[in-house]
Amino acid sequence: MSIEEQYRTRAKELLSGGAVKMVIGYGKGSNASRRRPIFISSADDVERLVLDDACITNLSGYLVSEGLLSDEKRVAVFLRPEGIRAINILAAESQLDADQIVIFGFDVAGNEVKALKGIHVEEFSDVITSIKESAPEAAEEELFEKIEKMSPQERFSFWQEEFSKCIKCYACRQACPMCYCRRCIVDSNQPQWVNTSSHTLGNFEWNIVRAFHLSGRCVECGNCDRACPVNIPLRLINHRMAEEVLGAFDHFAGTSKTQEPVLASFKKDDSETFIL
Amino acid sequence: MTKILFSDKLDNCVERWKSAGLTVIGPVQRANISTYAAVEHASEFDFGLVLPDRSIKDLFFPQSEPMLRYTIKKESIDTDECLPPSGPRIIFGARPCDASGMAIDDPLFGWDYKDEYWFQRRNESVIVTIACTKADDFCMCTSLNMAPDSTKGSDILLRPLAGNKGWLVEELTNRGREAFKTIADILQESSDLPAPLAVVEKKFDLDACVAWLQNPENFESRFWKEISMRCIGCASCTYLCPTCHCFDIQDEGDTYTGIRRKNWDSCSFALFTMHTSGHNPRSTQSARWRQRIMHKFNYFPGKFSVNSCSGCGRCSRQCPVDMGITETLQEISTLSL
Repeated sequence: MSIEEQYRTRAKELLSGGAVKMVIGYGKGSNASRRRPIFISSADDVERLVLDDACITNLSGYLVSEGLLSDEKRVAVFLRPEGIRAINILAAESQLDADQIVIFGFDVAGNEVKALKGIHVEEFSDVITSIKESAPEAAEEELFEKIEKMSPQERFSFWQEEFSKCIKCYACRQACPMCYCRRCIVDSNQPQWVNTSSHTLGNFEWNIVRAFHLSGRCVECGNCDRACPVNIPLRLINHRMAEEVLGAFDHFAGTSKTQEPVLASFKKDDSETFIL
Repeated sequence: MTKILFSDKLDNCVERWKSAGLTVIGPVQRANISTYAAVEHASEFDFGLVLPDRSIKDLFFPQSEPMLRYTIKKESIDTDECLPPSGPRIIFGARPCDASGMAIDDPLFGWDYKDEYWFQRRNESVIVTIACTKADDFCMCTSLNMAPDSTKGSDILLRPLAGNKGWLVEELTNRGREAFKTIADILQESSDLPAPLAVVEKKFDLDACVAWLQNPENFESRFWKEISMRCIGCASCTYLCPTCHCFDIQDEGDTYTGIRRKNWDSCSFALFTMHTSGHNPRSTQSARWRQRIMHKFNYFPGKFSVNSCSGCGRCSRQCPVDMGITETLQEISTLSL
């Protein structure tokens, strides 16, 4: 039985027995190469679920949709390892109760899909540890290497050109499972902390604020990068910040549901005096 | 016999237009994004694109436009109005859906207050459209009663010849004729035939959709919730749309001095209709998506007798979660059967 069929069977069992109220997965998209998020609430609809190498979008962000989990019922969701890490972070940041989440784990190597064993988030810790040890893909990218070798001025010019393309559609924010704030700082207008204009300064403000806010929290699922309609290579800036946090604090985001948020916690005996 | 503009002569035209004081703009691929931008030479154009990622709207209604500078003094307030940068320009190689999108928005920008930012740019621009010989899965002009060679909003229509040799010239307006007078001697007479137009399959029954949308019973239909469940509420669709025209006015600065700007805004955002009290009449994403569809195919045509969609398909093409107008209207077509 293919993984797709196995997971359809499992979804059918869970839905018909009432173990979960909904399965969030992938369905056919508007052309052969596209998959789209679908929400299955009836066991009769599980045939709509698709699982193949085109299932890329990290679906974990849908779990924190307003009201979805407030009835304390369980929801099942198809997740790649990055999505599973996102569940850990959302749980650690008190955004959801990980026990309510039933995971249909999978990973893609080349164009082959393999199932990841486990149901609850804590059962995937080996998978997450192995990712921490192998270098994430962005690091191998030629463009990333090129930016690393640039002088600060050159790097500034590079990002200036990229950010000047930004139209502030906030697709990066909306696609990101970590951007769950009910009211983002840029939407706060009393006072207006951040310019709403998408001129170069306003675009810098937005993109840099977001990069900092994601430091130590980004799982590098790539949702923002793929969502960006003007093709800003957001994955690179987030990867750089993830490396920084890993180097400085040995913090790899999303290893467990009790992991302390690295930039939102402190220790009384911190060597930096400004902390306390 | 028809007039032909041969591709290898285009650079001469660009030179000619530039010396006549026109800024020459066209489809280009720059910094990993395709858009309409000013060029120095014809070699910068990319006519191979189905259509640019960014719509032509950017040239008439930029994402952020300064309106006025202000300084507040002890006893007076000084204001300095910012008008759009002026100067004639020629947009060479627009797509029919983009050109018609601008004509669709003309009545909107002129019905109560005549928006001088929009009309100054409209009046100073010549739009030379190239008919489409290829389309992709998301093109849907034919479903909107338009075609790969629609002339709406264009001053000149060019029909490509086979083998990228050049274009047959159809002059549509006086503004177009004026601009092509400067290159009259570069055009050649020929009996060459145009390459076949792109085949754009009709994807939905527009009349049936409009009738369904106009039925007040369907306003509260469950359909809206189901179709938009995966919508993440970004503004990718509205900002890439050639006809979406909503904006917000913002003051940037401190207590004493600043600048007032007109910035794009989007009905996809929760903040769009948020009241000061905290109440939001469109509190869910489904209400916001319904608004976008109703606006384009019910309210806008009710007021201006034209749908606010030119069928470019960018909304569906770029949607991070594979939604868009095409799917929504396809679904409505089946509901209304």
